[in-house]
Amino acid sequence: MAKECTKLAARRGLAYVEGLPPRLITAVLLCGVVAGPAATPPAIRFQEVAAKSGLRFSLRNGAAGQFHQIELTGGGVAVLDYNNDGCTDIFFTNGAAIPSLRKTGPEFYNRLFRNNCDMTFTDVTAEAGLAGEGYSTAVAIGDFDNDGYQDIFVAGVKRNILYRNLGNGRFADVTAQAGVAGTDAKFGNMWAVSAGWLDYDNDGWLDLFVSNYVVWDAATEPRCGTPERQFYCHPKAYQGLPGQLFHNNHDGTFTDVSQASGIGRHIGKGMGAAFADIDGDGLTDIFVANDSVRNFLFRNRGDGTFQEIGLEAGVALREDGFAIAGMGGDLRDFDNDGKPDLVVSGILNDSFLLFRNLGGARGFEDYAQRTGLLMGTRQFTGWSLGMYDFDNDGWKDLFFALSHLSQLDRYLGRDSALANRVFRNVEGKRFEDVSAGAGPDFQQAAMHRGVAFADFDNDGRVDAVVTVVNGPAKLFRNVTAGESHWLAIRLHGRRANRQGLGAVVHAHLPDGRDLYNHATTTVGYACSSEALVRFGLGANRAAERIEIRWPGGSVQKVANVAADRIVDVVEEVKP
Amino acid sequence: MTMQTMTGRKCVFAILPFALVLLGAAPSSPGYAAYEKANALFVAKKFPEALAATEEALRLDPKLIPALTLKAKLAMAAYRLDVARRCLEQALAIDPRAPYAQFLYGLEAYLGNDLKEALPRFRKARQLSPTDPRAALYLGLTIESLGQPAEALSLYEEAVRLERSAGEPHAETLLPGARLLLLLGRLEECERWIRQAATLSPDSRDVHFEFARLLLKKGDAAQGAHEGETALGLPEGVVTDAAIHYLLIRAYQQSGMPDRAAIHAEVMRAQETPADNKAKH
Repeated sequence: MAKECTKLAARRGLAYVEGLPPRLITAVLLCGVVAGPAATPPAIRFQEVAAKSGLRFSLRNGAAGQFHQIELTGGGVAVLDYNNDGCTDIFFTNGAAIPSLRKTGPEFYNRLFRNNCDMTFTDVTAEAGLAGEGYSTAVAIGDFDNDGYQDIFVAGVKRNILYRNLGNGRFADVTAQAGVAGTDAKFGNMWAVSAGWLDYDNDGWLDLFVSNYVVWDAATEPRCGTPERQFYCHPKAYQGLPGQLFHNNHDGTFTDVSQASGIGRHIGKGMGAAFADIDGDGLTDIFVANDSVRNFLFRNRGDGTFQEIGLEAGVALREDGFAIAGMGGDLRDFDNDGKPDLVVSGILNDSFLLFRNLGGARGFEDYAQRTGLLMGTRQFTGWSLGMYDFDNDGWKDLFFALSHLSQLDRYLGRDSALANRVFRNVEGKRFEDVSAGAGPDFQQAAMHRGVAFADFDNDGRVDAVVTVVNGPAKLFRNVTAGESHWLAIRLHGRRANRQGLGAVVHAHLPDGRDLYNHATTTVGYACSSEALVRFGLGANRAAERIEIRWPGGSVQKVANVAADRIVDVVEEVKP
Repeated sequence: MTMQTMTGRKCVFAILPFALVLLGAAPSSPGYAAYEKANALFVAKKFPEALAATEEALRLDPKLIPALTLKAKLAMAAYRLDVARRCLEQALAIDPRAPYAQFLYGLEAYLGNDLKEALPRFRKARQLSPTDPRAALYLGLTIESLGQPAEALSLYEEAVRLERSAGEPHAETLLPGARLLLLLGRLEECERWIRQAATLSPDSRDVHFEFARLLLKKGDAAQGAHEGETALGLPEGVVTDAAIHYLLIRAYQQSGMPDRAAIHAEVMRAQETPADNKAKH
């Protein structure tokens, strides 16, 4: 045990030397800590504090009664610590005028808000140089150049932009030199709805995946309905697009490997994406939620190519063979068996999907009905989502950003605006809709779209920032009561990518429980969440053992890690 | 992302062929003979000829309600809901208590995903013709789509009861209830409904497909695969080949026969790429 303590102390020193400010280094060892008395999980509760926090942002989708399909997507929001001060900042994407796709005024600017570390935020868009161009829909955060500063990839309609974090509060558009503009030989500039960073070849550098939706052109877009009663066309009226994969060349440039990897050969109608090592082979796999056509699951073969196995894995369609309007996805272990499971949101009468990972090559089994999620979500339309342990009881819960399509109110006789929903995970057996008890702010309906997750006030409870179409964004501060403990692991890769994205972390608790999670910023739909790997510990005041399997396969163990703190773990590299 | 997934949507065109009850017919009308011809052509699925004969009937008698409802059905089959709506509003203006026109008026809204409108229209159809199982069935489908499964299930039960009372039970009327029971996890009840449907339509691919789903849920993958293969070999039904192949992939995998699963995955991929993902206007 003492040896482990020494190792971690050494790693702390290394992290400091590498440029992290001392306040970030919060790793504290309390060797020999034992579990406290068992606690009853408290009600998950949120307070909406955006206005109070100075977080004033309205997403504008440019709609002007023409029913352009692009108005429906968008709303991507990201959380990042762009200035490495230990407090999580927020970046919003925004729309543009249609059909010009130009940000004709400040109302269309993308926005960066700096967290002042007191739960207030300051708009620093102008000084950061991030107002952006074009019709932006999605955002992905990753330190692609391993310089210790998180970079921003903004995806959109026919225009993607990569911003390099210069480390001085400013960002530079490096799209052209990086080679990630994404112009396809066949489809030209495409409409991206989600994107994410992963190190698919475990070379220590983050690669980029882009989920593209459908071919769209304002001039040739189909019109649906009648002149007096126009509506948004079904996606079947549009041709689908392939996803894209860009390999990081380690020098600030990327190579488009969409075709070579096999990913570009699959035409879908891509919405959200999620990454995890689904079969435990040490390689990050890719899930893509498709809209009204079947979902894709790309198994990483480890030789630079991917095999699409959605059908064989049992995640391509709903159980009855129906292709739902897939929106967001998250690959997370809901039953603490060490295998990442899959949740996917859809639209009204689809029901959201939950697939339990059976391990190895056995694929997934449909678990939505058994957990109550099938009927419990049938009347919702969900966009972004996330599986996080909001009450820190050791079981990951579900948060869905909800709203029906904007035209639907006239057909349903009820408002398209919906309140978000949170489902509590009851010991990995069922999900219980606990939204009604989540506080009065949580009951407020709106046209919610994106949601990203982070602990903005560093109190150990996972908060959520939610975008609203043509309305003010919401910041849901998690105010769940109770004595549950928590732990967050901030990874610092040395041989692995700097943020440790793709690392799998296993926490063994004094009460005998084993918890699993992995590092990814790609969560939900169009959004990017924090890279920290979080665990709710319940009554345990420490983790008996933390085991990190870094991308590339090396395993690192840390013993007796005290709860209620962020622990920085620097990758141990043996000579 | 546009909603087009209302419960039981695919049942709609299955019910139209047997929605030929001639309520409100007026044999004395000058257009009646033309209408009868049109109806025969509709049953024979000669739709352009049926439309021409219907137009002739309406030229002779613009107020002939059966001709107006037939024109509405033809329009619905062509997904011209605007035309159907106009015909039905015309028919109901002539006779606000015409039950079949009222039912089709609800169906027009249902097909357009307009549940807000469909609900009162089907409710009125039920009032006008309490013994019509179709009105009960479609009111149930609408209510299920609006998130009230318990009420929907009682309406499905009522539709089945009405059909039995009339001596004309149909498997298609049992399936929505069976599907809902499966969703609710009431597997034993679901099985009873499916077995009744199988008795009525032993060669229905939809019935065998639902039975295969149920068996998979119950953990009997081998028998589920058998039922799935049976469904795949049957032509009659609205369940797609793709849905059956997908079921068979899982059934064979769970049965420890990955090679058989792979065959069905290959068939699905061959059928879907890239045509399924192209624009369909």
